[in-house]
Amino acid sequence: MTDAALSVQSSADQRAIAALRRKNAVWRRILKDPPAAAATIFLFLIVAAAILAPWIAPFDPYSNNMRLRLCPIGGARCPDYLLGADNQGRDMLSRILFGLRATLGMGVTAVAIGGGLGALIGLSAAYFKRLDQPLMRLIDVLLSFPSILFGLAIAAVLGTGLGSLVIALSIAAVPSIARIARGAAQSIMQQEYMEAGRAVGLGDTALIWRYLALNCWPTILIYMTLQLGQAILLGAALSFLGLGAQPPTAELGSMAADGRKFLSIAPHVSTIPCAAIFLVVLTFNVLGDALRDALDPKLRQ
Amino acid sequence: MISLPVLLGVLLIGFLLLQVVPTDPATVVAGPTATRAEVEAIRQQMGLDRPLWVQFAGYLGRVLQLDLGRSMISNRPVVDEIALTFWPTVELMLACLIWAVPLGISLGTLAARRRGTTVDRAIMALSVMGVSVPVFWVGLLLIQYVGGAGLLPFQGRNGPIWTADGLLSIILPAVTLGAVFVGPVARMTRTSLLETLGADYVRTARAKGASDWRVTIRHALRNAMIPVVTLVGLQIGFLLGGSVVTETMFAWPGVGRMAVGAITSSDFPLAQGAILILAVGFMAVNLIVDVLYAYLDPRIARS
Repeated sequence: MTDAALSVQSSADQRAIAALRRKNAVWRRILKDPPAAAATIFLFLIVAAAILAPWIAPFDPYSNNMRLRLCPIGGARCPDYLLGADNQGRDMLSRILFGLRATLGMGVTAVAIGGGLGALIGLSAAYFKRLDQPLMRLIDVLLSFPSILFGLAIAAVLGTGLGSLVIALSIAAVPSIARIARGAAQSIMQQEYMEAGRAVGLGDTALIWRYLALNCWPTILIYMTLQLGQAILLGAALSFLGLGAQPPTAELGSMAADGRKFLSIAPHVSTIPCAAIFLVVLTFNVLGDALRDALDPKLRQ
Repeated sequence: MISLPVLLGVLLIGFLLLQVVPTDPATVVAGPTATRAEVEAIRQQMGLDRPLWVQFAGYLGRVLQLDLGRSMISNRPVVDEIALTFWPTVELMLACLIWAVPLGISLGTLAARRRGTTVDRAIMALSVMGVSVPVFWVGLLLIQYVGGAGLLPFQGRNGPIWTADGLLSIILPAVTLGAVFVGPVARMTRTSLLETLGADYVRTARAKGASDWRVTIRHALRNAMIPVVTLVGLQIGFLLGGSVVTETMFAWPGVGRMAVGAITSSDFPLAQGAILILAVGFMAVNLIVDVLYAYLDPRIARS
C-alpha cells in the first residue's frame, strides 16, 4: 500500500538532491514567499528565546508567590508579570520561555537521536543489499505501530518523565527517516563514483561515510527538520496526558494540562502555553512546506 | 502488506515491553504484606520463572484464545475491559471521520479548482494551521466556550450514539478530533487532484464537451481519491493519538483513556492489552484501506 507513496517520495528526494546543488536559489525562493520568510524570522526568534531563556526571562520560573495566584494578563496585582501568573503565582512569561526551551530541546534531542539511528538503518539497508529486506521489514513493524503507542508503551515500561518521552519520540522518528535515508542512498548507490570508489579499493566504511553519507545528509537533515514539528506536537500531547514532563517542570504541554483546572476562572494559564505550542509547530510546518516546494521543481510551475 | 510477520512483531514488542518493566508483577499481585515465599509461589503460578521464549509462546497461545490476563486493579479479565471500551472508541473515530473526511475532500476540491486564488490560499492556510494545532487546545477552547456556556455536554458518554443523549455527548469530542483531521485530507485532495486534472483522460473528457465540474468530479476526483484513501489509512495512527488525548479530556470511556489510566496506575496487563488492541485495530484499518484501494482502482485488483 505504501509502496506507491514511497516511490513518489524517493523520486521527490532525487529532485531534492538535485535542487540542493542550487542552494542559493532555494533560499532566495523561500525568502520571496512572505509566509515562509516570516516563518524563517520567527524560527530564529524562537530558537534565540529558547537558548537565551535563563538570561532574558524577567523572573525565576519556579519562584511562587501565592498572593499573585492566577493573576490575569495586565492584572493590577502583578504589573511586572507581562503574561500574568499561574496557579502558583509564578510569572507566566518566564515559564513560557523556559517551557519553550524544554519543549524545543526535547524535540531536537529526540529527532537527532531517532533521525541518526534511522539514517544509519537506511544507509545500511541501501549499501548492504542483504540487510535490505530484514531491516526494512523491521521498519515496517515500527511504522505499523502508531507513534502515540510508543509514547504509551515506553511510559508504561520506564515510568513517566522527560527521559521516557525523549526515548519514545526518538523511536517514533526512526522509521520515516530510515525510509527517506534508504531512498536517498539508493539513488546515490547507482552513481558512477560509488563504483569508482570501490574500484580504487576503498573499504565499506570509507564508501559509506565519505561517499554515501556525505551525499545523503542534506536530504536527511531537511527531512529531520520537517519531523521536528511532528515530534514537538506528539511530545506536547504526551506531556499533556501526564506521561511526559512532570510538574513543576516548565514544559509547554504539561503547563497546558496544569492550567486546565482553572479554565473557567483563569483561561490564560492554559491558553498561553497552547498558543505557544501552536506557533512553534506552525512555524516548522510553514517552513517545511516552503522548503518542500522550493526543492521540488515539479511543484514549482 | 499487513502480514503475519508484522503482527508477530507487534506482539513481540508488546510482550518484551512488559519484560523490562522495573516493577516485578509477582510482587505487585502478591500485595505489600506478602512474604517472600508467597511472592515466589505467585511467580511460579504466573510462569514468570520460565525462560523468555517459553513465556512468549505461552503469551501467544493465550492471546489466540483471547486471554489477555486480568487487570491488576479491577481484577476483571482484560478482554472484558477492552470489550467495554472498544465500541466507544470506534464510535468516536467514526463520528470524527464522518464529518471531517467529506469536509476535507470538499475543501481540497474547491482549492484545486480555484488554484492560485485567495480561496485556495485561505484553504491551504487553514489546513496548515489545522495540522499544527495541538488537539488539546481545540478541546480546551470548545470546553471553555461551548461546554462552559452549557450548550453541549463535555463530560463522558451519556449513551450509545443512536440515543439523543449519546449523540449530544459525542458532538464536542468528535468536533475536537475532526478539527485536526480536515487539514491533511484537504491538502492531500488538492495535491492529488491537481495531478489528475493534468492527465490525458481529463483533457479528453474536456474535449468531448463535459462541463468543468463534471470533469472534476466524475473523471478526476475518483482517481485523485486513491492517495487520499491511503492518507486516511495512514493517518488513522495519527487519529489514534488524537483520540487518546480527546478521550482523556472529555472523560470518554474508550480504549485510549483506559490505556492512559492503566499506565499511570501501573496496571501492566491492562496497559499491554489496551496497547495491543490499538495496534491490531490500526492494522485492521490498513487492511480495509487496501481493499478499498482495489475498489477505487481496478488496476490494483487485477495485478
